[in-house]
Amino acid sequence: MIRIEGLWKRYGLPVPEILRRGWNLLTNRKTGSKAEDGPWALKDINLEIHKGETIGIVGRNGAGKSTLLKVLAGVTGPTRGRVEIHGRIFPMIELNAGLNMELTGRENVRLLGAVMGLSRREIESKLPEIEDFTELGAWFDRPVRMYSSGMLARLGFGVAVNIESEVILIDETFAVGDLKFQNKSLARVKELRESGATVLLVSHSLETLQFVARRGILLEEGSVVATGSALEAINAYETLVFRSEKERLEHRARSRITSEEANIYSARLYGDDGQTLTEIRSGAPFGIEVDLRLNRPLQRPMFSIGILNAQGILCKWNISQEDGLAEPGPPSRYLVRAWYPENYLMNGAYEIHFAVRDGASFETLERLAGVLSFAVIGPNRARGIVAGPCKWELLPIGDEVQSGDL
Amino acid sequence: MLRGFVNIPSDGLPYVLFSYAALVPWTFFTNSVAACGPSIMTNAEIIKKIALPREVFPLAAVAATAFDFFMSGIILAGMMIWFKVSVGLALLWLPVLTVLMITVSFAVGILIAALGTFRKDFIFATPFLTQAWLFVTPVIYPLSTVPEQWQSVYMLNPMVGVIEGFRNVLLKASPPPADALGMSIVVTAALLAISWPVFRWLSGYFADVL
Repeated sequence: MIRIEGLWKRYGLPVPEILRRGWNLLTNRKTGSKAEDGPWALKDINLEIHKGETIGIVGRNGAGKSTLLKVLAGVTGPTRGRVEIHGRIFPMIELNAGLNMELTGRENVRLLGAVMGLSRREIESKLPEIEDFTELGAWFDRPVRMYSSGMLARLGFGVAVNIESEVILIDETFAVGDLKFQNKSLARVKELRESGATVLLVSHSLETLQFVARRGILLEEGSVVATGSALEAINAYETLVFRSEKERLEHRARSRITSEEANIYSARLYGDDGQTLTEIRSGAPFGIEVDLRLNRPLQRPMFSIGILNAQGILCKWNISQEDGLAEPGPPSRYLVRAWYPENYLMNGAYEIHFAVRDGASFETLERLAGVLSFAVIGPNRARGIVAGPCKWELLPIGDEVQSGDL
Repeated sequence: MLRGFVNIPSDGLPYVLFSYAALVPWTFFTNSVAACGPSIMTNAEIIKKIALPREVFPLAAVAATAFDFFMSGIILAGMMIWFKVSVGLALLWLPVLTVLMITVSFAVGILIAALGTFRKDFIFATPFLTQAWLFVTPVIYPLSTVPEQWQSVYMLNPMVGVIEGFRNVLLKASPPPADALGMSIVVTAALLAISWPVFRWLSGYFADVL
């Protein structure tokens, strides 16, 4: 249904090499200087999507997701490569664009319908449905310049949502509107999926993606770096975000409280064989090792480790004194190890905060937020803060319901 | 007015009529080219949102100008009645000439629209272009004042055939001059054959620069 072969895309005209050399000669520029060319927005994309599939596209900002949708929608041409799509394409990109302020809501619906390629008869037949969906009432026949932004969103969305087509491209347009509207739109996308349309969805909301999409693709700097089920793509996305975060955190901590009496050098994650890990499987035990030096003799050095999730919620906090570490600490270089034999962290991205205190005076010698980041990945779809076993049962009961025991 | 100063011959017709009959189609040409230029940029939102044949926008600009053309045509008809100008079957040439006029304007307009989207200078230069074009078209002076040896080169201007055609048909009740008209059709076809494919190719990338 959709076939992309060797797609490369750079914004701007694909001027043939000869013309470009000629132009450079005329304007006295050094040939081969790529200064005026932009970076490649998409690099060598090869994809095949069959009819009826729903694909989620994830990636960081600037990875090329919107560009890919624009090329698929036909809005802009590829610089190199081929794109083949069969069926009517409906791009849900910038829903409010193209509204004429002087026309009424009804007239704008006709205008948008015509722009999207519907015949006059089709638009007229859809008008009552759209009027109903947008819930604009009498405003439907008033000029659009009088509408509030919420009404504009409803109008644009109302047209978009009531159009039948074979391929639907959605570019983060779920972000508009209030909760009721977002639920309506989610329900509608599911209906479309059931009717056999091919849906490509770009979203940063991982929950939406999990509910709507079956396959997932991760884009990074213009290339496809992972494909697979939606869950696999989401996991890959989280690991990617983490790896890049980690590089930046290595020598620069987010916040420090230090008194020069202790120095924290580095931290790492390790598994039960002592090897350094980059990510943890859900449920697997793991340990955190911090390399530090104490400059002052401490009777009762106390270490604390906090594990925070991506929303900044503190999920786990352990203090060495409470867990039984009682050794005194003469000034020396140490490796502090905290081992977690039971891992109840849910899948997601986490960050470690670490502090060294004097157990006797509770004085904080050194504290570092964000000393380490990691991702917990696993096959489960559910999210949340706490993992752990859960036992389900399905008990059949007789046809007459006995309500007495409730 | 100008005739008083410069003594331009007008083929025996009242100068007012002579120039107005040429001015009506000329104004169409100038206005439609001027309207085509920014037509893509004004509609940037729709272009970036959905794929549609981008020719629609210059076409709409040309169609809007055509309305003005018909209005001026009514005024011209009024003037012809006032001056009691006799007309004949030559009037049947009017539709042909009108189509030719629209085609020339469209061909020039889409070229400016396409190039102008990438380099705005083309759009700023448009009024100068049409002004200069005015002087090589027999609008304020008749074709007969052009020296013989230059006439063939002169007729490469597609608007010559259109303007002289309108004048002949409306005011002299005679068919348009065959050589000028023939040349005009050929040049217009060539112009369209270049500008339309160029527009087509460039239009795929409009969304990148808007």
